[in-house]
Amino acid sequence: MQNNILRWDIFCTVVDNYGDIGVCWRLARQLADEHDADIRLWVDNLDSFSHLCPSINTDAEVQHLEGMEIHRWRPDFPSVEVADVVIEAFACELPESYIETMAARKTAPIWINLEYLSAEDWVVGTHLLASPHKHHPLRKHFFFPGFTPTTGGLIRERDLLSVRSNFDESDADKFLAGLGVPPREGTETRVSLFCYDNPMLPELLQEWADGPDRIRVLVTPGAPARQVADWLGEQLLPGAAFSKNQLTLHALPFLSHTGYDRLLWACDMNFVRGEDSFVRAQWAQRPFVWQIYPQTENTHLIKLEAFLTRYLQNFPESETVKRFWQRWNGPGEIGASWRDFVAVWPSLELHTKVWVGQLDRTRNLADNLVRFVFGK
Amino acid sequence: MSVKIANNLQSGNVVILEGEPVVVIKAVINKSGRNQAVVKVKAKNLLTNRVSEVIFKSDDKLEGVMMEKKDCKYSYFSAPNHVFVDDEFNEYEIDAETISDLEKYIVDGMEEVCEVTFYEDRPISVVLPKIIVREVEYTEPVVRGDTSGKITKTAVLKETKHELQVSAFVEIGDKIEIDTETGEFRKRLS
Repeated sequence: MQNNILRWDIFCTVVDNYGDIGVCWRLARQLADEHDADIRLWVDNLDSFSHLCPSINTDAEVQHLEGMEIHRWRPDFPSVEVADVVIEAFACELPESYIETMAARKTAPIWINLEYLSAEDWVVGTHLLASPHKHHPLRKHFFFPGFTPTTGGLIRERDLLSVRSNFDESDADKFLAGLGVPPREGTETRVSLFCYDNPMLPELLQEWADGPDRIRVLVTPGAPARQVADWLGEQLLPGAAFSKNQLTLHALPFLSHTGYDRLLWACDMNFVRGEDSFVRAQWAQRPFVWQIYPQTENTHLIKLEAFLTRYLQNFPESETVKRFWQRWNGPGEIGASWRDFVAVWPSLELHTKVWVGQLDRTRNLADNLVRFVFGK
Repeated sequence: MSVKIANNLQSGNVVILEGEPVVVIKAVINKSGRNQAVVKVKAKNLLTNRVSEVIFKSDDKLEGVMMEKKDCKYSYFSAPNHVFVDDEFNEYEIDAETISDLEKYIVDGMEEVCEVTFYEDRPISVVLPKIIVREVEYTEPVVRGDTSGKITKTAVLKETKHELQVSAFVEIGDKIEIDTETGEFRKRLS
């Protein structure tokens, strides 16, 4: 493909509130900012999108933002010119009329299915395989993000780690003050909480309240705030704070991508979920705990184990970390494993920096996509 | 023509890819995210003999091909082909690579009836019976007290040396039933 062909259509259906559009929006921005890609982003749910990007006009059919064209993706898909590169995110189904236009194009576009992130070994042998279309002379390539150079890599903006390394404790205090969070008190530990519904949360909140150390938990809106409110027996509106013994809970408003990154950097430990926040927590280089998207037949636990195996390779206290992550993602008593987990934080933070250094040596997802496109 | 769902593809199926017939050598399902799955398929083009790998979403629909089929028995290996024989003692040779996924179960003189598929009179694939019986050549000593079958261990099959997971109570010399579609141990016969 020639270098002057850089028109991309990215299709995104919102399945859960923020994961799909979170990944698509970050990727679209990076392709536009760092690769001069001419982006048209099709999103079926602008309300979810507007939480991550408050500039979005939820009533508009078409809008321009940060140099990109954002389209509401309606079932009655309009007749449009097909782009040079077509990305369907997370195996969403492209409109049949659009596929027909792709097939009728003089040069078939490069069609990519951006798959889910997994640390499992099978991804390596599956990344970039083609899927011939049943009727049309089109081939779709399955692009798998991952943690090794033989996969599609992870989303990481070019300047992310340098901006991160310049963000210090005073920046953290300033950022949190903007959210109404007071400066750190003594040895208080700051934790951010972003999770799905999690039956382990009440027990962990109680453990934090009864524990020996002061802890401030910054609760993101949605499922985390709802569950914390249930445990407190109080409404938890953004800005509200409640204390229970050693635990202070602070309800946050929705944060933009930039704001959420800074939250992760400002906290000593981060609870994250799904795919987008899970990756950002790694770039934050803080200890983190991942709640993986639950799947039937406990498939998610295999994926969790695959990541833990990669992430904790050569970490002497890996079993302690594994035990806490497994409790957070499954049945069992979580209090004791939390206490063990806290004890390994200092060494885990150092290990996480080594892990990020290793990830940083592999190409990022946007760079890999562009290389693949230009290699066709 | 028939419709084949990618999720149900197995070795020996013949489908149309990019307008040409291919025989599936191996199909592997992997769960991706949010309860979706992908199917990685190794297939051989029946016109060019070229082997390639492709991928599908598990619910993708493919065009299947109705082919002539015959019941045959496995006879012997004559490099690089496996030889199957029908009731009238006609011999049919199929190259080992095409049915490499089945070699873990194929043994000389095996009694099970296999289904050989033909494309333009050429044998191109074999489907084994869903259930076959094989003897365990080696496994670790029996775990006393477990009759639930929930605890598993590795067993090695006689002749092919194929390894699979079996219930903890299985012993050396036992005959076991194996599901050839899933590759899983079903039960002990003796």
